[in-house]
Amino acid sequence: MTTLAPPVVRGQEPTRSRGGRSGSVLVWMVLPAFVMFVFFGIVPLIGVVVLSFSTWNGITPTIELTGLTSWKAALTNEGLPNALWVTFLIMALSWLVQTPLSILLGTFMARQSRYRGFLAVFYFIPLLLSSAAIAITYKSLLDPNFGLGAGLGIEALNQDWLGQANLAIATLIFVVSWQFIPFHSLIYQGAVRQIPDSMYEAAQIDGAGRVRQFFSITLPQLKYTIITSSTLMVVGSLTFFDLIWVLTAGGPGDATRALAVQMYQLGFQASLMGPASAIAVILVLVGIGLSLLLRRLGGRADQSQMEGA
Amino acid sequence: MKRRNFLTLTTGAAAGAALAACGNDGPAGSESGGGGGSASYWSLSGEPGEPYRKAAIDRFNKANPDSKITPTFFQNDAYKQKIKTALGANQAPTLIWGWGGGGLKSYVEAGQVEDLTSFFGDAALKSKLLPGSFGAATVDGKIYAMPVETVQPIVFYYNKKVFEQVGVSAPQTYGDILDLIPKFNAKGIAPFSLAGQSRWTNMMWLEFMLDRNAGSEVFDNVFAGKAGAWSDPAVLDMLTKVQDLVKMNAFQKGFASTAADTNADQALLYTGKAAMMVHGSWSYGIQKANGGKFVADGGLGWMNFPPIDGGKGDPTNTVGNPGQYLSISSKATAADKETAKKFFSTTLVDDEEKAGWVKSGGVPVLANSDSLYTGEDAQFQKDMSAIAAGAKTFAQSWDQALSPTASEVLLDNIAKLFQLQVSPQQWVDNMNGVIGK
Amino acid sequence: MTPTPAGTRTGKAPAPSVTGRPARRRLTERNWVGGSFAWLWLIVVMVPLYWLVITSFKTQANYFITNPLKPPSEFTFDNYVLVIESDFARYFMNSVIVTLGAVLPATLISFMAAYAVVRGAGNRFLQGVNGVFLMGLAIPLQAVVIPVYLIIIKMELYNTLQAIILPSIAFAIPLSVLVLANFIRDVPKELFESMRMDGATEWGTMWRLAFPLTRPALVTVVIYNAVGIWNGYLLPLILTQSPENATIPLALASFQTQFGVNVPAVAASVTLTTVPIVLLYAIGRRQLVSGLTAGFSK
Repeated sequence: MTTLAPPVVRGQEPTRSRGGRSGSVLVWMVLPAFVMFVFFGIVPLIGVVVLSFSTWNGITPTIELTGLTSWKAALTNEGLPNALWVTFLIMALSWLVQTPLSILLGTFMARQSRYRGFLAVFYFIPLLLSSAAIAITYKSLLDPNFGLGAGLGIEALNQDWLGQANLAIATLIFVVSWQFIPFHSLIYQGAVRQIPDSMYEAAQIDGAGRVRQFFSITLPQLKYTIITSSTLMVVGSLTFFDLIWVLTAGGPGDATRALAVQMYQLGFQASLMGPASAIAVILVLVGIGLSLLLRRLGGRADQSQMEGA
Repeated sequence: MKRRNFLTLTTGAAAGAALAACGNDGPAGSESGGGGGSASYWSLSGEPGEPYRKAAIDRFNKANPDSKITPTFFQNDAYKQKIKTALGANQAPTLIWGWGGGGLKSYVEAGQVEDLTSFFGDAALKSKLLPGSFGAATVDGKIYAMPVETVQPIVFYYNKKVFEQVGVSAPQTYGDILDLIPKFNAKGIAPFSLAGQSRWTNMMWLEFMLDRNAGSEVFDNVFAGKAGAWSDPAVLDMLTKVQDLVKMNAFQKGFASTAADTNADQALLYTGKAAMMVHGSWSYGIQKANGGKFVADGGLGWMNFPPIDGGKGDPTNTVGNPGQYLSISSKATAADKETAKKFFSTTLVDDEEKAGWVKSGGVPVLANSDSLYTGEDAQFQKDMSAIAAGAKTFAQSWDQALSPTASEVLLDNIAKLFQLQVSPQQWVDNMNGVIGK
Repeated sequence: MTPTPAGTRTGKAPAPSVTGRPARRRLTERNWVGGSFAWLWLIVVMVPLYWLVITSFKTQANYFITNPLKPPSEFTFDNYVLVIESDFARYFMNSVIVTLGAVLPATLISFMAAYAVVRGAGNRFLQGVNGVFLMGLAIPLQAVVIPVYLIIIKMELYNTLQAIILPSIAFAIPLSVLVLANFIRDVPKELFESMRMDGATEWGTMWRLAFPLTRPALVTVVIYNAVGIWNGYLLPLILTQSPENATIPLALASFQTQFGVNVPAVAASVTLTTVPIVLLYAIGRRQLVSGLTAGFSK
């Protein structure tokens, strides 16, 4: 990729499609992805909305529409506020833990050349393990009787990691971080390496220390990367299902029962497909709301970046 | 009808995009080779049951070269999920393995399983099975499943070596248990092992505590759908006692982190880290296989759950699985149904079937098995058989007896009860809310 | 906003590092916080991996008795034999088929869509489509799994590998289009102009200009999607049912009880599952990092 010339002034005006022919070719190009996505993304979404107005039990061959019954059941379900709260908690905490640590690791790896390759290979392995495998491993390691604590002989590690509400959430966040920090630090590593050294040199001439350099150069330069990485983290956290399911199955009690888990339990375990679909719609709305919010942050950033270019 | 349009639309469009199906072996097995039917059969994988299930099918296929039964085995949790989705997708196997009770009832209501009442009109066939096993196969007076495999009462296990070491003897009453708890705790041994993450393990405690406290009527009323059936004062008393157990550290530290599927709960008992455990009779085989010489050396003790002082329940009562159940899919072809029925009336009631389940360490649902208990597990099997036969009431496990909807709420509330997240009163209110659902 | 330095756009170009090298080395020397944390994190990452590997060499009988963090006194390969004999190869192949079968088409059609979206910036339809894709970023798979399940049943693909592949493709599209479109936008307009002058069609321009220039981002998208689909649990769980069509994550969950307490066998299958991808990653790492460099840093 070294042949790519450095960009000159980037045109602000959109690349106009030249004439009808070119435009229709472009439409053909977008069509396969559009059709696939509409078919398996948008149509199911409409299906979820329709199912949320039924009381299907998942077994009967016919599906009858029964108005708002399922919505009432879902919205008055005591579990809903808890599920929303747990979802939010997982989202916020996993972002708060992962972002600074990923930036720290990414910054370090970008500057450290000697062990970078070595560290990068090992850091990346967690991302390669399935959530189910990770959950099984941690379940065994955290067993209060046969796990890590027993192995090291450290009584403090023999906690009821998955059996107490706060500990279970903390454990979940830790496992999520274990799984995803490597990926995000890789993103940050790439971004940090693109910050021109001349900026640091200038700062050094001005007598700025490392910490100040980090806050006045590195962090501002990483702004767009932070938005991208945060989008992936926040939107991704809505879809944590596998990990929670195998690790705690939503327990203890309902301490880790996020919306996705709640939906699954209602629909596939309690045979209440209607309320489960209603929760699914709520989940989608939360997701769309979040992505719009993040897009506004990102959109404004894009604009200003373009103005500056 | 909107729904139908939407599906027709999507199906039409999908057909164009669909690739040639590879590996699409329809589990319904409607396309059969040979003259007879070709029934598909789904059941649970793993020891100790799978080899004997396989053996029965091999025997049948050998004896009936014209027809063929094809088995598929699933892990327990996966199976529950699969069978439900398969029924919804009209992809059910010919032979549906199950636990009877509420799950079977939901299949019946959806018209998914065959009515076998007239099939069991044959008294000679019916008499080959333990009469108590038909309760959970019956919905509204009609039989929809054949009881198979083993009777599995839930048992009170204890580690004799640990009892010796601490210098105490096996409890005779619930009061004795309460006395034992601080003694074991003082020695750093967990009084009871409990796989608290797997909710149904906690449920076994409630089942016995309620029965010994209040008798079997309370749950009968719940099962019958009587409004407010959980409001019996004996229920509140029982729930309070359970929470007291949790508060006095009757269960191992971090019990809510222990899951039954890794069998870590049973490891606690045979490694001597816990002194007692309430678990299904199948646990005997697991402890024998994994506990080294623990069972062979007489380390494992067992009995029926002891009576509660002042309780109304009959101390002979027990809870558990009165059998496993096989139903025939109503969607299967006539030939396949015939094959399935032949399998029921011949292979599943033959002497080899009986001997096989005895050999597995279990108590068969087939009648007149007592003379077969001669192996190294004879004492355990005789005791289990006696518990099953001597029980005034052999109740089915609650989560199996109730509908999937009610049972999910039940398990959820039980988990919260052990977490001390709900009070006994809240528990009663929550459970009254789903009676008859 | 301060002017974005040219370097941000040219992470692929070696130019900045020429002047940067001495300063970079000096900066390296004193990042104690980052350094100690990096090594600490390495330990955190390694402990579970180490546990998996040593446990895979233990026997079932001594698993609960031995110290969980010490290697067994006698190594056994029985678990590996057991796992391989219990149809592991089939699950592995299924996962490979599903992953390749989903990732390659998904990347291809996402690339085409991204190209069209970027080139057709003035076309309302194309921008509308892009809007739909962006909305799709936020649809969690669990939310739509019930209707997807119904569609698959109606398509009579239930319990086939395509049942996993088709929705996997669809759900990989939104993010892929976003990343790829961002990257294609960076291709200097002059290059497109000169292609047009030479009389190239849109198809030709896409393949001969945009495709090679987008390679790092394509690698990123391929690996990102591949990891997600390879590890997918929900779609195989809901959309297939026979063991013949099980993928590794599904098989893994059932290994746990298929073997009773045989946690060592679980560890062996996890180890066996991971090694091929680690090798793949070791080979593709450079591409991944450069792809991430270019694709995400905005």
